[in-house]
Amino acid sequence: MKIPVTLKVNGETYDLIIAPYRTLLDVLREEIHLTGSKKGCDAGDCGACTVLLDGKPVNACLVLAATAQDREILTIEGLARNGKLHPLQEAFVREGAVQCGFCTPGILMSLKALLDTNPAPTLEEIKIAMAGNLCRCTGYSKMFKAVESLDRSP
Amino acid sequence: MRFELLQPGSLAQALEMKKDYREGAKILAGGTDLLVLLKDGKLRAQAVMSLGRLSELNFIRSEGERGVAIGALVSHSDVAASRIIQQRCPDLAEACAQVGAAQIQNLGTLGGNLCNASPAADAAPPLLLMDALLTLASARGERRVAIHDFFLGPRRTVLEPDEILKEIFVPQPAGRRGATYLKLGRRKAMEIAIVGVGVAIHLNGSDRIVSECRIAMSSVAPTPLRARRGEAVFTNQEIRDGLIEEAAEVAAEEASPISDVRATRGYRLDMIRVLCRRAAREALARARNHKAEGWR
Repeated sequence: MKIPVTLKVNGETYDLIIAPYRTLLDVLREEIHLTGSKKGCDAGDCGACTVLLDGKPVNACLVLAATAQDREILTIEGLARNGKLHPLQEAFVREGAVQCGFCTPGILMSLKALLDTNPAPTLEEIKIAMAGNLCRCTGYSKMFKAVESLDRSP
Repeated sequence: MRFELLQPGSLAQALEMKKDYREGAKILAGGTDLLVLLKDGKLRAQAVMSLGRLSELNFIRSEGERGVAIGALVSHSDVAASRIIQQRCPDLAEACAQVGAAQIQNLGTLGGNLCNASPAADAAPPLLLMDALLTLASARGERRVAIHDFFLGPRRTVLEPDEILKEIFVPQPAGRRGATYLKLGRRKAMEIAIVGVGVAIHLNGSDRIVSECRIAMSSVAPTPLRARRGEAVFTNQEIRDGLIEEAAEVAAEEASPISDVRATRGYRLDMIRVLCRRAAREALARARNHKAEGWR
């Protein structure tokens, strides 16, 4: 039996009728058609589906959409504002911190959460924040460089 | 993965539902274990009861000299970031900061880590060191169970079909104490422990005399467990060459590890000794550093 669920995604409200066992990741991709969050492992291991739930990074594949009702959901599509990329996205472009691109949305969300609470992270802190995101191209060095290239003045 | 979703708004309502559904309703806290099992078909559920709305179980409360009460739904990241926990149970903060990575720590809960009853549960050794008490609630009432009596085997606990873990109480140990939890994996994050070892050392006035030691291990037996004979090696002993090594040897004899995809039995036994020694040295250093009364 389907149930009504209201989701707040990237500042927009979506009234949905969905099966209660569907994950937030599937609902984002298939009902709201926000396909930036990727499905890699679907088991919480790869981080490709990382979104922010009330500002904190979580695996959208491990959250039931119905339990995300009334919470603030931010996906990669909500990172750019008014047609302007987030400074992190600019830095990734500038440094060429993208290879195949599949892990990039999840990694950007993890890093956005890091910078929101810690605007000037050390390399070690960057690595810890990204530890739940796998890049199968192993292109981590340029990602670290991209974050470190950001203006860290307070 | 198909099921009915129950979303009680209060603990009282959740307990009423659990009374009716019993094993039919699986408890969903953080979902980091349950949803993976359900997706894999390793577990089937008629209903899943999300506790996400029970904000009353999401608290960390200092009870002064008595200890600290932690709601079952507190996330690993909130445990690790809590000043109260960092001050009073640094080994528990260390353990929760080593579960998975940020995404898993934000979802997974302390209560879920215990109720999932994995032999590898990272939060179990620090709580075993502290004689934590678990409050199990049901519509019939509440009971308190020592964490030593909680685990029955892999994925099995003493929870009755109508019960829900409500609170974890960590009593305050007396005197000068130092504790740490070390986890061995093949990588630093997103790892299930090959071996986990927690050691707590109590000093009696002098920096040289250990009044009491506690050793708890995970991933080395069907349940997380204390190494009581290894602990006894330290009791009322002066620190001397070979004492830590002897205790580590004895602790490893109390383990019954298996060979599995993560490591062989022999490797695990070797690593218990290594981790025991390292953890004991760190716990001792912390205890010596612990000048003030109260606890660390």
